[in-house]
Amino acid sequence: MPDIQDFFGAKKPAKATANQKKRKQQDEIISVLSDDDVVDLTSPEPKKSEPKRRRTTESPKKPAKSAETSKKTVNGSPTKSKVAKQKVEESTKNSNSADQNADDVLATLPDAELPDVTESKPFSFAQKKDGPQSSGMSVDIDAKENCLSGLTIVFTGVLPNLDRDQAEGLAKQYGAKVTKAISGKTSLVVLGDEAGPSKVQKIKANKIKAITEESFLELLRRMPAEGGNSELALRAKEKRDEEERKLKEAVEREEREEREQAAKKAKTSSLKNESSQNTPSQPTTSSADLWTVKYAPKDTSQLCGNKGQINKLQSWLASWFDNAKSGFKNPGSDGSGVFRACLISGPPGIGKTSAAHLVAHNLGYDVLEKNASDVRSKSLLNSNLKSVLSNTSVVGFFKHQHDQASVNDRRFCIIMDEVDGMSSGDHGGAGALSAFCRITSMPLILICNDKLLPKMRTFDRVTLDLPFRRPTENEVRSRLMTIALREKIKLDPTVIGQLVQATGNDIRQMITMLATVSRTQKTIGHNESKDMAKAWQKQAILKPFEITARLLSGQIHNPNANHSLNDKIDLYFNDIDFTPLMIQENYLSTRPTNVTSTKNHLERVASAADDISESDIINSLIRSGQQQWSLLPFHAVMSSVKPALSVAGQVTLRINFAGWLGQNSKAMKYQRLLQEIQYHTRLRTSTDKMQLRLDYLAALQHKLTTPLLKLGEEGIGEVIDVLDHYYLTKEDWDSIVDFGVGPMKAEVVLKDISTKVKTAFTRKYNLSTHPIAIYKTGNSVATGGRKQTVDYEDVIEDDTAKDEVEEEVENDQIDAKKDKLIKEVKPKKKRTKATGPAAKRKKT
Amino acid sequence: MVGNEETVERLKLIAQDGNMPHMIISGLPGIGKTTSIHCLAYELLGKTMYDQATLELNASDDRGIDVVRNKIKQFAQTKILLPPGRHKIIILDEADSMTPGAQQALRRTMEIYSNTTRFAFACNQSSKIIEPLQSRCAILRYNKLADDQVLSRLLEIAKAEDVKYNSQGLQALIFTAEGDMRQAINNMQSTVAGFGFVDDVNVFKIVDQPHPLVIKKILNSCCSNDGKGDIDTALRLLDDLWNKGYSAIDIVTLTFRVAKTLPGISELKRLDIIKEVGLVHMRVLEGVSTYLQLCGLFAKICTI
Repeated sequence: MPDIQDFFGAKKPAKATANQKKRKQQDEIISVLSDDDVVDLTSPEPKKSEPKRRRTTESPKKPAKSAETSKKTVNGSPTKSKVAKQKVEESTKNSNSADQNADDVLATLPDAELPDVTESKPFSFAQKKDGPQSSGMSVDIDAKENCLSGLTIVFTGVLPNLDRDQAEGLAKQYGAKVTKAISGKTSLVVLGDEAGPSKVQKIKANKIKAITEESFLELLRRMPAEGGNSELALRAKEKRDEEERKLKEAVEREEREEREQAAKKAKTSSLKNESSQNTPSQPTTSSADLWTVKYAPKDTSQLCGNKGQINKLQSWLASWFDNAKSGFKNPGSDGSGVFRACLISGPPGIGKTSAAHLVAHNLGYDVLEKNASDVRSKSLLNSNLKSVLSNTSVVGFFKHQHDQASVNDRRFCIIMDEVDGMSSGDHGGAGALSAFCRITSMPLILICNDKLLPKMRTFDRVTLDLPFRRPTENEVRSRLMTIALREKIKLDPTVIGQLVQATGNDIRQMITMLATVSRTQKTIGHNESKDMAKAWQKQAILKPFEITARLLSGQIHNPNANHSLNDKIDLYFNDIDFTPLMIQENYLSTRPTNVTSTKNHLERVASAADDISESDIINSLIRSGQQQWSLLPFHAVMSSVKPALSVAGQVTLRINFAGWLGQNSKAMKYQRLLQEIQYHTRLRTSTDKMQLRLDYLAALQHKLTTPLLKLGEEGIGEVIDVLDHYYLTKEDWDSIVDFGVGPMKAEVVLKDISTKVKTAFTRKYNLSTHPIAIYKTGNSVATGGRKQTVDYEDVIEDDTAKDEVEEEVENDQIDAKKDKLIKEVKPKKKRTKATGPAAKRKKT
Repeated sequence: MVGNEETVERLKLIAQDGNMPHMIISGLPGIGKTTSIHCLAYELLGKTMYDQATLELNASDDRGIDVVRNKIKQFAQTKILLPPGRHKIIILDEADSMTPGAQQALRRTMEIYSNTTRFAFACNQSSKIIEPLQSRCAILRYNKLADDQVLSRLLEIAKAEDVKYNSQGLQALIFTAEGDMRQAINNMQSTVAGFGFVDDVNVFKIVDQPHPLVIKKILNSCCSNDGKGDIDTALRLLDDLWNKGYSAIDIVTLTFRVAKTLPGISELKRLDIIKEVGLVHMRVLEGVSTYLQLCGLFAKICTI
């Protein structure tokens, strides 16, 4: 690409002078510059057909400078800036005549250069080297209200000045719809550096207008209010009006209903008062309720989102007793008929409990709820809940609670809330509960947050799985607006997006937030919401995957991104055990930003690797006997932040879970096996573990397998002789085979020995007694190892849990075999087994 | 109450109207979280009801899951006659030290009894509170106090207690407290108790920490001069510190802290500096806490 060089060469001096000018002779030159550019800008881009590359890369930069400089002059010299400003206003006014719409304005904006898919890399380097032109650009733009309404905008790539979130927020603020993927409906794409090649292709295929960030800001400045008169904008406006109308209707309806209910309540309570006269009717002032209670959904239609799952729940619950009659054999249309229990899972604050209660209530069920505030250990569940589960006792259970007749045929269901909240105090609770799920003769609804937790696995196949998702912004909007209207708060609908983001789609949190804020302010516009969103940002602890993705993505390290070093270190502190491991696992799967050559890439990877290995030294200081925890921040920097900075960029591969854990446990296992073999053979070998592995094992393996391979069953005797000579056991034979590498790899060797020979070998071995030097050496090591991992119980994610399980299985197998061995030999030796571990522990 | 006007304003309104929502107040130590909750409860409930209608548990109490299930639940269930709009208040101080299990057990309790009982949590890091609880609460964050806010309070106290001081002394107090009002007041009290007069020398004697500004100066001179670094100035400043008797570990840890936020250098360079500082920190911790190590450290930083 020769013209890049030209462009680059030509660009640099210009930039330097511009910088100087900015500092020294600001006023004069700037006013001249801006005058020029204003003219250039507003003339509707005649150069579209010109040779594109050169032209277009320059043009978006120029207006930027003009915009910026004209801003600067506002501070610098008021008189001159006024002139410039007036001119801008005039020119915009001219083009801003009433009949302007998005297409007109867009037409005047220069196209962003679409990088060729193949050549995109070198191009972005050149541009990157230019550096961000105006760092720390403020985002206060005096755009008209809703000026982008009707447009669908996609942001792609890394924008030079704005954070992605910031840019999207800006677009949303002015009424645009922001989507992630490009489609035929997209009206405009804002293109940043390093846009994904597939997106670029899509832009080309769909012939969508693509602009740079600068032009986007320009667009904001110049679009008329309400998005002009284009068809899309008008339609969007109509839609908004429609929504508003609907909202008002909903509010009126709700208020009416509430009044009716209140009236009814008053009646009944007054009736009661006449009859009993002891409790003075306490008018429950609705203002004393929390908003979350006051506006709790009273009807399934008021629940936000998850309609499908709620319907499923409803149909399951409705047909429960029919299914019960058929003994849960008939799966029904959606396969829910075979389950006696269902499990609702999803993040907090999205209405799981509300949905369960509402559905049960609607179908006329009574609800018995148990939650984390009740003790739910195995024994208590057995004594309390089990009696409830059977049909007959239920009637008796309810008889004295409800007054009279009609109750008897009333059915009820059990809701177990916060099942994953069963903690150490609730010993065996989960297991007991899952057993109930199989036998219950009452519908059982379980609710939890995270279904993937290992302790939730027991419920996997015995319950109907109903995952609830976070409701989208649209689903939440109408509900929030209704509440705001009823509380007479002026809430800007566009703000809701921000609230949704800050709370992580948590409706309850948003309502609480509104309730609190509304005490001091009655209008919530865009400016307030930003502060609110920041203050209310839920600070949940991040999962290792998120931490890694954030650290390795280029955005956080962008100097304009406002992430201080402390923020990055805080990311590490979200999970000090896993972040280093995850970084170490994934630091190779990025395509770093600003890489000039393959060599440079390698250098960065090397420096990252260096840092990681140094961090291991630090780690050993922290976690070993010295316990130097004051080094933890340093470890954070060396293990996570610094390597991440060197390789940060686009994450190209899927982020993997740290493989170190699995590998480590495998290594430990082999160490243990080796130790065992060494103990057994030491009457003959007199070497240490390492030497045994290096010198003896290969030969031993050869001696122990070739007879079987060559002679088949006739070789068995020979092998057993060798084993006896070295005081090895049958398990040692297995592990020695396991130790093989290359052509002697365990799978290869074992494949060649036929099953018949193998079984004959085992049988023959078990028939005779064998000399044994020491019993059960490795065993105490094994239990010790497992005990250590218990500390990680809370931290370890499901993947590791799998590892653990696997390991346990292996251990169990070994244990079982050993037991077999010991049972078969004389009981006298059992005592040695008992003393074995103790003796061993003394040694270590 | 000093500082955080907006939040305090909101609390005042709550105190007036009643109907306190569930709250999480989070913020750094010593900015008045516990105090404000107590004040709020007191104002809401009045003198007579305060003892009856509040339950306060802090980290010194046992707050395991059993306590939550028994004591807290029982308290939430008890009936106390209160004026409308007033509720029983359960104050859980230092809530971030509660176990996740105990927090889980609070979830439904908070909802079911919300018409009679409200919860107030105070914590340092709101991220230590499990998400479901955050979702149920209004989160109020207290920001660090500005220096002048601490100053005005210190002046008040100084006047009331008749403390002798000079302006450098107050400055030093504010500097060392880093927005922590309690620390500032405590330091002032100990300075007065020890020396009777608050000036910067006495304060630093009490606080006993090398002055961060000095460290900053050292680092700046190391980085100055277009990357060559001015080692002489740096070492002179270091000598001053060393001769005052500060230990190597103090100097190194502070250098680490200062380097993290050192302005005016690129992130990459900052990380390189931190690497060097950290390595020396390691050596010092291993026992090599000599003057030579520090000299080596700053010389190395000069070459970065």
